[in-house]
Amino acid sequence: MKPQGSAYLLAAFPAAFLLLFFALPILLLLSTSMLKSEDMVPIAQLTTANFSTLLTKKLYVDAILRTIGIGVAVGALVVVLGYPVAYTLVRTQSRWQPVLVALALSPLLASVIVRTYGWWVLLNHDGPINNFLLAMGVISAPLRMLPSTAVIIVGLAHALLPYGVLTIMAALNGVNPNLERAAMSLGAGRVRTFVSVTLPLTASGVIGGFLLAFGVAIGAYATPAILGGPGTQTMATLIYSFMMTLLDWSLGSAMGVILLASSFVVLALIMLAGRRSES
Amino acid sequence: MPEAALELRGLTKHFGASVTVGPIDLIVRQGEFVTLLGPSGCGKTTTLNMIGGFVTPDAGGIHLAGSPVETLPPWRRDLGIVFQDYALFPHRTVAENIGFGLRMRRVGRAEIARRVYEAMQLVRLDGLGDRRPGQLSGGQRQRVALARALVIRPSLLLLDEPLSNLDLKLREEMRIEISTLQRRLGIAALFVTHDQEEALTMSDRIAVMRGGRIEQLGSAREIYEAPASAFVAGFIGSTNLIRGSVIAPRQPGGTVRVDTGAGPAMIPIVGDLPDGGAVLLMIRPERLKLASPGAAPEGTNAWSAQVVRTIYLGGRMEVRLRLRDGGTAIAYAVNEGETDWDEGEMVDAWFRPRDAWVIPGPAEDSDAQATNCLR
Amino acid sequence: MSRKILWSVVALIYAFMLAPILITAAVSFNAVERSYFPPRGFSLHWWSMAMTPQWTGPFLFSLKLAALSAVATAVLGLPLALALRWPSFRGRGTLQALTLGPLVLPSLVTGIALLQFLTLAGVGNWIGLPALVIGHVVICLPFMVRTLSISLDSIPINAEIAAASLGASRLRVLIEVTLPLARSGGGAGMIFAFISSFDDVNLALFVARPGQTPLTVQIMQFLEYGFSPTLAALSIISLLVPLALVALFGRLVGIGNFIYQDHGHA
Ligand SMILES: Nc1ncnc2c1ncn2[C@@H]1O[C@H](COP(=O)(O)OP(=O)(O)OP(=O)(O)O)[C@@H](O)[C@H]1O
Ligand SMILES: [Mg+2]
Repeated sequence: MKPQGSAYLLAAFPAAFLLLFFALPILLLLSTSMLKSEDMVPIAQLTTANFSTLLTKKLYVDAILRTIGIGVAVGALVVVLGYPVAYTLVRTQSRWQPVLVALALSPLLASVIVRTYGWWVLLNHDGPINNFLLAMGVISAPLRMLPSTAVIIVGLAHALLPYGVLTIMAALNGVNPNLERAAMSLGAGRVRTFVSVTLPLTASGVIGGFLLAFGVAIGAYATPAILGGPGTQTMATLIYSFMMTLLDWSLGSAMGVILLASSFVVLALIMLAGRRSES
Repeated sequence: MPEAALELRGLTKHFGASVTVGPIDLIVRQGEFVTLLGPSGCGKTTTLNMIGGFVTPDAGGIHLAGSPVETLPPWRRDLGIVFQDYALFPHRTVAENIGFGLRMRRVGRAEIARRVYEAMQLVRLDGLGDRRPGQLSGGQRQRVALARALVIRPSLLLLDEPLSNLDLKLREEMRIEISTLQRRLGIAALFVTHDQEEALTMSDRIAVMRGGRIEQLGSAREIYEAPASAFVAGFIGSTNLIRGSVIAPRQPGGTVRVDTGAGPAMIPIVGDLPDGGAVLLMIRPERLKLASPGAAPEGTNAWSAQVVRTIYLGGRMEVRLRLRDGGTAIAYAVNEGETDWDEGEMVDAWFRPRDAWVIPGPAEDSDAQATNCLR
Repeated sequence: MSRKILWSVVALIYAFMLAPILITAAVSFNAVERSYFPPRGFSLHWWSMAMTPQWTGPFLFSLKLAALSAVATAVLGLPLALALRWPSFRGRGTLQALTLGPLVLPSLVTGIALLQFLTLAGVGNWIGLPALVIGHVVICLPFMVRTLSISLDSIPINAEIAAASLGASRLRVLIEVTLPLARSGGGAGMIFAFISSFDDVNLALFVARPGQTPLTVQIMQFLEYGFSPTLAALSIISLLVPLALVALFGRLVGIGNFIYQDHGHA
């Protein structure tokens, strides 16, 4: 037997599994998104109505734009908040460093629900923030912070922050600390050193962290479902109601395809920008 | 007298309870080239990092051109630093790398361009200004790093093993190039290495470090000819170390008699040597000569020895000897094409009194040094 | 000075990261039927509520699902990782794309695709445990293959050729050289798969069924009727499972080695 024969042999079963339960269902999804649906089951009749509904009705267009906005905001927040943490963790000489790393990553172990529930407790109309502000006399009636898009953004950024810390840490670990020393010895202060040396050399980590957070955020269901409401629908919550409540699978599939496309478009845009800045 | 370019007073850094670098006292005069020489982990980089402002000392003072800098951040110290890994900014061109320090000093564009061009000529990098560091050879990167440090006309140049990543031939070239440049520009330099040959060829003075302290400071000649300890002797060049004891400390003619297992030796008095005190007698292999039995010159110390092995090294012969007490010694004989020492032959190994010297000992690690001397 | 500013900023971000989890824990001890923080009074009432069959059922189901998913992911991931070690063969690129594909798709999309596929393929009765395991395996396979590959790459394929040249049969080489190398990667991949499966909401939402519902989905469904401190207690219980797992086995497989390599695709 030729050596590569054994590669085929090894891969056969898992490859069949992935073809059957991943590739085929995705293809099916792509096709149902272009089929008409009758009583939940798509029927064999091609149509673009699903997409035109989703892309013209204000309710749906708003949801799509809101979702992308949430994704961008969450990605930016994750990167902005994750950078100082990653920088400190990588550069510190403290012997508590491993503990701090573990602490920063531990939220990853918790389900998104756990991570989001705390925000609900904190921000609901009779939560500690409202109670505190009322007691201090700053406000006379509880603030309605829930449901709102802003809180969804905060909740998701919180849930995804460890990913940002991780990707940026990985990038920072690849930067030779002597480069920063060289810049400083040549007269660059801390801020200039950071802006002209550290940041450009960790751009890949920043972009990676942003993309990762963006991708997970636009496909997240639990956080918008808990912290949002009817006025703050996202693609994920809409997909859920299409599939499970309205039982319109074609519309759900079409929204799924739009969700997929959004993440690919942003991915492509960023890769394009990266290529341009390189040349 | 002008201020020293660098003065370190009792500079000390502790790492945990067990590792201490310092206290270090050192003066680098204007225009002088001083080398910190020592084995791995002896604290050379830490010393440079304290001078550079990247490591905060626990005690002691640092003066650059007469003024204290301990409290200044790195970017106010006006130093040119060449790092072991060069630390070139990979995302910037060669010219941008070299001009970085000038840009930070808010020098005008045209002036930067001119000085960068000059610096590139100085280190023979003409025409490579638009390349990225990744597109350069090791030697070229080295030159960029040097130009980047020199172009800001620093008050002091710090170089941390800048040559250790180059191959032998390039290393030898760069040694000359760096010290020629340094002399031409008159910039004081503190150079770090663990390569003794580098230290000997480049330095005005050498500070031999061991375990975080400077063990001896002096010119290349002083360090080689009068090492202050077995460690220094072993670290620079090769040395025969022979245990002995002082028999008569004060002989007429300013000499002292030392008895060793290989035979007695008369040597000049150095410092205070107690009667009967244990010492280590050191002779450089090139100062240990060979003669047929009984043919050693008058007034020299001669020991009878047996040739164990001769190794042909081109310009010289390395002759390994067994001494009377069974100990080993090495002699380098200039290859003059006449004498040949056969293995097994009995010879007289002789040396002039002033070619040997003693230090109190034997050091507890003299055996380690004795093997060290066979390098 | 600027260092102090940096540390204060970082301290604030840590507070931001950890506060919601600590608040959730505190809320579960409320003595009243409200999610007050700081809690009013102290009671274990909500913890005992969390121990009733309404919740222990889904909790145990989640544990079973996570364990099955972890094992199945390892069983499928190992041959895949081994096959992908061959430097080149026809279809290697396709195989790689197939393996990594689920990474770029939101798991929610994988979930609705699976739901439709199983229904239309006439095996709608797989919805429940089988579909959940299948979905979680699809999601976790890329990580398993990655962590396995990282372990396997620590030794060149030549070492195996060397072993083979010393007379070891293919199977012997696999057992004596390759598999021991794969252990730490496989362990990390399994821990990862277990936790991902245990914590998953996005896919499970679509392929669970009454009676075969993981804890996360049960909580989401309960949330439609409002919040209760019971949920806080449940959240903390469900956090303890992955924590215990990592504490027990994390060191054993050296999970830290995989942290940086894994980052790109969680
Ligand atoms: N940040 C640190 N934390 C703890 N110990 C350190 C630190 N930096 C240096 N050391 C210790 O201080 C000692 C001196 O280190 P240093 O890097 O100065 O040596 P060196 O002479 O430059 O060695 P080399 O020739 O290998 O570069 C070593 O024992 C080292 O382990
Ligand atoms: Mg060093």
